[in-house]
Amino acid sequence: MNLTSDNINIGDLMPEYTSAPITRSHLVRYAGASGDFNPLHHDETFVRVIGLNNVIAHGMLIMGIAGEAIVSWTPHKYLRKFHSRFLGMTEPVDWNDAENTKKRATIVVTGKVVKKYEENGEKRIRCNIVAKDLTGSRKLDGFFIVALP
Amino acid sequence: MADKSKIGMEFPPFTMVVEKTKIAEFAAAVALKDSKEEIDLIYYDEDAAKKAGYEGIPVPLTFMTSCFFWTDGLMGIVKALGFDLEKLLHSEEEYEYLGQIYAGDVITRKMKVVDMYERGQKDRPGRFAEVTVLETELINQRGELVTKVRSTMIER
Repeated sequence: MNLTSDNINIGDLMPEYTSAPITRSHLVRYAGASGDFNPLHHDETFVRVIGLNNVIAHGMLIMGIAGEAIVSWTPHKYLRKFHSRFLGMTEPVDWNDAENTKKRATIVVTGKVVKKYEENGEKRIRCNIVAKDLTGSRKLDGFFIVALP
Repeated sequence: MADKSKIGMEFPPFTMVVEKTKIAEFAAAVALKDSKEEIDLIYYDEDAAKKAGYEGIPVPLTFMTSCFFWTDGLMGIVKALGFDLEKLLHSEEEYEYLGQIYAGDVITRKMKVVDMYERGQKDRPGRFAEVTVLETELINQRGELVTKVRSTMIER
């Protein structure tokens, strides 16, 4: 069903979006795509020097995943604003212990419509979002605003 | 500790072409896919994008943060503003989409320091942070302000 201002209301939920488990390969791919080569995100020897056990995902990759969740529900062109606050680090899957580490690396994005209003002559909604991993640990929260036909 | 005399400081403007192949690469990266064949067609097929109501191939929602890394990069900002890298965290990011950015557009980036302040109380470690807010304007080849980005960095 196409999203319009007539068929969406305050309290409606955005369809839940579950990512693939994030791997180190995904982090390297995002580093190359974005240009963010902070060694924190790919160099295991570097992170040990600063006292971490594992490389961690780019916060902006988690925001990118949240963006994927949004555009899988509402067309990209409707977006007017997208805000995220980063709350926690995300460690990728360890392939030598995949069963125990997949949950921490899988991102679930949920959202709820909290406001419906008119602005700049457009019918807009504001939807709050949260991204957590499958263990329930929060990665980011924020909101987006879309203008609907 | 950030140098508060830098409030209002503008970074030198930077102009770049939005590359089509970079858009597909980025779209695959945030979708956690291995190839562009697995992503939404609008991010690499111009005809599909036009059918979906776009004038060209649009950039993914968070794509434009990349231009930060193609220019000064994090270390450029750290040096310019006097940040303590070991304490630095990216706290918030906000995009305001005033228009669309398409493959082939020539985008000029204007970034400035809009605020620096302290949050919390110094005698309560863990709750105290020094906050720096950067605002970036992205302007296309027709002089239209198409996206505004507000980035909040904290040192704690």
